[in-house]
Amino acid sequence: MILEMNNIRKHFDGMEVLKDISFGVDSGEVVSIIGPSGSGKSTLLRCATFLETIDGGEIKYMDQVAAHTDEHGNAVYVGNHELHKFRSYCGLVFQQFNLFPHFSVLKNLIDAPVHVQRRSKEEATETAMELLAKMGLADRADAYPFQLSGGQQQRVAIARALAMKPEILFFDEPTSALDPELTGEVLKVIRQLAEVKMTMVVVTHEMPFAKAVSNRVLFMDGGVVVEQGDPHDVFDNPQEERTKQFLSVFER
Amino acid sequence: MNFNVMLQTMIPGMLRSFGIFSLTLLGALPLGMIVALLKKSRFVVVRGIISAYISIIRGTPLMLQLLVWYFGPFYLFRMNIGDWRFPALIFGFVVNYAAYFAEIYRGGIESIPVGQFEACEVLGYTKSQTFMRIILPQVIKRIMPAITNEVITLVKDTSLAFTLAYSEVFSLAKQISASQTSFTPFVIAGIFYFVANYVVAFIMSRIEKALDYYK
Repeated sequence: MILEMNNIRKHFDGMEVLKDISFGVDSGEVVSIIGPSGSGKSTLLRCATFLETIDGGEIKYMDQVAAHTDEHGNAVYVGNHELHKFRSYCGLVFQQFNLFPHFSVLKNLIDAPVHVQRRSKEEATETAMELLAKMGLADRADAYPFQLSGGQQQRVAIARALAMKPEILFFDEPTSALDPELTGEVLKVIRQLAEVKMTMVVVTHEMPFAKAVSNRVLFMDGGVVVEQGDPHDVFDNPQEERTKQFLSVFER
Repeated sequence: MNFNVMLQTMIPGMLRSFGIFSLTLLGALPLGMIVALLKKSRFVVVRGIISAYISIIRGTPLMLQLLVWYFGPFYLFRMNIGDWRFPALIFGFVVNYAAYFAEIYRGGIESIPVGQFEACEVLGYTKSQTFMRIILPQVIKRIMPAITNEVITLVKDTSLAFTLAYSEVFSLAKQISASQTSFTPFVIAGIFYFVANYVVAFIMSRIEKALDYYK
């Protein structure tokens, strides 16, 4: 398994945000996570990518343990040096893109590979230009983020994550900050990645997209996984009441 | 004494004013950054000391601080340092301006969206790479207007050196004006400060333009 999250618990200031979440992702799988605001979807992603620390449970990448719970019930993480290795396994695409505004598009893509992964500038540039070509943005390599539309910026953000050659790519509501016209171009890129079997976890509100592209869907609410399974089962034949309630909002 | 002679006599003063100005910037710009970073220390004692320093230095007149620096070593600590006038002046200016720069840096750093820090974390940048490559360049662009204000204030504040009888341009203007009973030396000093600030404003505006390659 590429990723295993077992019995994850997380609280913020006494409020329990993740109440015992377990799920795994196999190589080549696309998992969508859907659910209302405050259900803990983003927190789960942030715990998986080490932006937040869990309070209990176990996180494993490629069968290696990144964090586990000791006999006193406290979450214990591996040391910084090892954590660096785990971080290299995952890439994250943010809702707000978070491109570096003072770097050109190309530099956004090569800076981390060169300075974090110590790859040569030539190699990083080659990879970057290939990625940009796949996104249809090769001619914008020297532009700055502020000159691009939201959809273009998000595609650059996806390319930036891919340039690091992660094992698994996480998306935290990648199209939520985009107006509907620009959403399509980003979803198209994610669909292309699914076709080449990139392992991905996508938190999204785009239901038709989740249904079409995922191998598995998780519905989260109130810090627990309420229902999960094949997209057609979850969307067309939800078993739980909360799932039905949530999905009915989208059937206008 | 005619105008030209007055001008000639005041030129060494102008150079000394420029000396205070440059040394203060050379010292206070880096020291301010150190102070700003220390203020975010995880040790309460460190944060407390830095906060107190910033509060006292910004809360008392620079003129008073210069006197403390100059007379302090002898009257408070019984130390006789010899030619202490110029060092006291520079320490006083640097420590004072560092406090203001520290707060400007802090404001600049806090205005950077947290997403920038998070993107760096996920990409695997170390803390120092994050700061030097991603955060600091963006901070510099944001704080230019505030820094410009402080630099312009500094040009004029160099005149406070007269408190320690250091002969920069304002002190000389006072002396010559008194001995020649003429207002002209002050006019010369005024023109000097105005021209100096004009140059400063020009340079800062060029820097802002150069940083305008992105938004």
